[in-house]
Amino acid sequence: MQFSFAIKGKYSIWSGTDKKHTAELEPILPQWLKAARDAARNVESEDDTPDFMQANQEKQKAPISPPDFLAGLQAQTGDDEEDEDVPSWLANITGASPKSKPAKDEISSDIRWVEMGDKDDFAQSENILAQQPSATEKQNEEDMPIWLAGLHTDTQSEKDELTDWLQDTNASNELPPLSIGAQFPNAGKENDEKEDVVEPSTLDDTPDWLKQMSDEAQEKSEQDTSSQPTSPLLADGDIPAWFEQLSNTSAEPIEAQTPRDAPELSIDTPNWLEQLPDTSAEIVEDQTLKDSPELSGDTPNWLNTLNASEENSKPESAEVAEPSIPTSEAFSFTDADIPEWLKSPTEPQDKKQDTTPAWLKSEDQSSEFELPAWLASEDTVRLHQPQAEEPVSDSLLSDLPDWLKSAAPETTIFDTPTDEAEVNLEETQMETKSSVPEAESVDPYASMPAFVSDSQNSESIESLFTEMPDWLSRADEQPADLAITTNEDILPSNDLPSWVEAMRPNNSGLGQISSAASDQSAESHGALAGLQGVLPAGVGFNPTSKPKVYSLKLNADDEQQRQAGILEDILAAETSPVPIASFGMLRSSRGLRWTLAFLMLAVVLSTTILNIKFFSLPQGLPSEINSAIQVMQSIPENAPVLVVFDYEPSRASEMEVVASPVFDQLLLLKHPRLTFISTNETGAMLAERFIAGPLAGHSYQNGVTYSNLGYLPGGQLGVRAFAQNPSLIAPFDINLQPVWGSAPLQDVSLFSHFATLILITDNADAARVWIEQTQGLRGNLPFIIISSAQSTPLIQPYYASGQVNGIVSGLYGGALFEQYNAGRPGTARNYWDAYTVGMLLATVLVGIGGLWNVIVGLRERGEGN
Amino acid sequence: MAISLDLITGVLSFLFTLMILSYLIGDNPVFRLAVYMFIGITSGYIASIIWWQVLAPRLLMPLLPALLSGSIVEKVIAITPLLGAVFILMKLSPRLSKIASIAMAFLVGAGAAVIIAGALIGTIIPQISATINFFDPQLAAQRNINVIEVLGNGAIILVGVVTSLGYFHFSARQQANGTVRRFFLIEIIAFIGKIFIGTTLGVIFAGVYATALTAFIERISSLINFFGNF
Repeated sequence: MQFSFAIKGKYSIWSGTDKKHTAELEPILPQWLKAARDAARNVESEDDTPDFMQANQEKQKAPISPPDFLAGLQAQTGDDEEDEDVPSWLANITGASPKSKPAKDEISSDIRWVEMGDKDDFAQSENILAQQPSATEKQNEEDMPIWLAGLHTDTQSEKDELTDWLQDTNASNELPPLSIGAQFPNAGKENDEKEDVVEPSTLDDTPDWLKQMSDEAQEKSEQDTSSQPTSPLLADGDIPAWFEQLSNTSAEPIEAQTPRDAPELSIDTPNWLEQLPDTSAEIVEDQTLKDSPELSGDTPNWLNTLNASEENSKPESAEVAEPSIPTSEAFSFTDADIPEWLKSPTEPQDKKQDTTPAWLKSEDQSSEFELPAWLASEDTVRLHQPQAEEPVSDSLLSDLPDWLKSAAPETTIFDTPTDEAEVNLEETQMETKSSVPEAESVDPYASMPAFVSDSQNSESIESLFTEMPDWLSRADEQPADLAITTNEDILPSNDLPSWVEAMRPNNSGLGQISSAASDQSAESHGALAGLQGVLPAGVGFNPTSKPKVYSLKLNADDEQQRQAGILEDILAAETSPVPIASFGMLRSSRGLRWTLAFLMLAVVLSTTILNIKFFSLPQGLPSEINSAIQVMQSIPENAPVLVVFDYEPSRASEMEVVASPVFDQLLLLKHPRLTFISTNETGAMLAERFIAGPLAGHSYQNGVTYSNLGYLPGGQLGVRAFAQNPSLIAPFDINLQPVWGSAPLQDVSLFSHFATLILITDNADAARVWIEQTQGLRGNLPFIIISSAQSTPLIQPYYASGQVNGIVSGLYGGALFEQYNAGRPGTARNYWDAYTVGMLLATVLVGIGGLWNVIVGLRERGEGN
Repeated sequence: MAISLDLITGVLSFLFTLMILSYLIGDNPVFRLAVYMFIGITSGYIASIIWWQVLAPRLLMPLLPALLSGSIVEKVIAITPLLGAVFILMKLSPRLSKIASIAMAFLVGAGAAVIIAGALIGTIIPQISATINFFDPQLAAQRNINVIEVLGNGAIILVGVVTSLGYFHFSARQQANGTVRRFFLIEIIAFIGKIFIGTTLGVIFAGVYATALTAFIERISSLINFFGNF
């Protein structure tokens, strides 16, 4: 981008398509120019084509040059009908009226790609440029360095400075080099491109008189043709005959080009001037300048400077300007490979109207040819077609001859004070070129106009392209996919320094990669420039250096290491599992257990065996027992009594001991009709056992004096349902016989028809169920609960609330009730001594245990304090 | 020589008693054998009871007469329990377990209603009324209890109820030193309630011990009687 205006300056020397009336300059032509023109007329028919095409030219006569000093150029065009191949200014010089130039196609910009040699940048910005050229131009201007901006301003607005600029050329070339290589990594390449841009302009614009100057050199070059690489321009036939002569005069072998010599040249000569010594170093020196001593007085200073500088850089100039097309490739063209316009330049009738090479016109026309690799690369020849514009330099340089105009703007590049940087770029360029051996490969970019792709974005640059020769702007018509371009063709490895060449990837493995079929991008920077598919494509990814390696070793002092150790300890403590504090499992002592068992067994066994009965029965009646006795006494004779057996068989011994005196008294005094029911599955069996065991003496019979309804399923629901409708819920006894019409249940159809409800249970919940579910259905039905000792505390509140009329609980209650039953049946009394001893023993043991715990607790507290 | 049933019963009772008492030396196969036999016998007995006293007389036997000659209501009443039982059996299949939810929903809903209603009517309201009525002299007079005793009993019961409920009041505030403590008055009430609760548990434990002691004495007496008969 920073070379955009430099390119403009370069292209501004091409007069464009406007008519140039050079006839009026004829009187003022210097004598040496006229002499040179005459000499050129004599040699124009000899070598208009590269040497490698001379074989074809032998079949075709060289065109006769028109009788003016640009006759050679006109002869190259072949015919008046081929004016479009010739720049308009050249056409005007010859005096022929140029035909109107047709509008250029967009693809003509492709050729600029070729010239630029930087397709990647175009690939990214091509579409943007085509759509928004103005914005891109602004961006280019913003990105442009200051020194280039100044250059741009000077070029456009101060045409009068041209003369001064020319005069200052020597001074600017002597500026010390600037080390801006780091800021402009592509400087070397761009610098090469500058040279390449100048080269065609120099070659094409050079009049025949310059060819005349190179006669001697031509003769020498003809001898060395076989060993000299030919530039792609020569190979393509785009170069006029005079340039061919000039190029052939490069007598210095390429082997003599050394990097050591390159800096000297780049320092002494600007880029645009390098083209002149590149192409005709010895010609200009030996023939033109020396043979025409008056030239120094007539020519501008820059030519004098040229003369002076080339004396110091003869070998290098020739070497630098030497195209890097290998001889092998140059001579590898067959007849079919040679463009038609080179084969038969004098047969314009075969072409339609112009002499544009067939390979540059269209794909269809050129598909039959095998183009050189550097032009066939599809990836590198795409640029949008700019619109034809009026060249700016025309108006600025109207005072000068065209040939001077063509040369003058190049000096504007060096008119800026930043030539140091360019000098360095030239050094890089020269280093690169100096490493070119007799290459087997071709560096197409070396022979192309070198300018930065970004510069093409600007509108002004586009206008410059309109000033290109038509033959060159027609290059966009070439089919890009005709020829196969290899990476080796794009970037000859020999252009690189030896050390870069060593790093360069081996291209042999890539083979002949068709650029048309490949969508891989070519590298535009660095040693891989021009190679395709070497690196994976990534937008905006341009690794510039090797990743920096950071050391993992820390420099920590003792304090930091100590703190790090503390941190590690903290982290380790956080991650380590913390045991959960748990209480030791309380386990019974086997000795204590055996001791207690022995004590209990001994006490109970002894008291039972001895049956001493030294403990008297309890005296006094608790209110609940007294209430139960009153209820029993209030039961009418032969009244139906509902007895619920809801206790477990394991509690049968206790429950039978408690219930026996109650039922013994009841049966003895009242002879009630008993109805047994149970919410426990074993209740029916326990009822039968109770009747058959403790009450066996009363001779109660099932179905006569009692009925056993058996098991009442449904829990609370069953109790509630039974309380609501007993006959429906429990219609059968345990023998599956209807009981509600039997003697025990005579005159009983409702729950409230029973005279008394007696519940024998060892479970407080069972008592609560019967209390709750029969609460509203009992009416005045007395409710007595005979319970075990363990459930009495929970049943006692119901007695306190009046929901239960009496409670007889445990062996204590049985013993009391038994006293009011004349001591019958006496079971409670038999158990009472053992029971009492056992309760006393338990009390003593509980007291001892409590005292032991107090002592242990006090001892632990004392130890703790 | 005929072996009397009492002899067989006495021998088996003696053996099983020793087997159970063998737990005194720890868990042993003899103890397990006795336990397994009790569980097995009990299960078999319960199953027979369920069949003979529940399924046969209450589900199957009414079904046939109702289907043959019963009215629609009788048929519905006879079939509905069977249908509910079949639905509950569907829980054995994971795919058909949702069908059982119908019967289960009915049972749970009806049971909950019965339990809640019974608790309200039979426990909560009567117990609240009883706690209040402890201070009613007329009721005390009806029960032949003098006023002082009524007031004393009522006061104890009132204090016991209030303090026991206060013990389960766990709302607390964070103190300045970071500890969490209940309000001071609540602490006092909770302490008194703890005494009442401890006393109740002690009484229950005494009742359990008395029950167990009675059973132990009965077993010892039966053994003595068994050997005394010989």
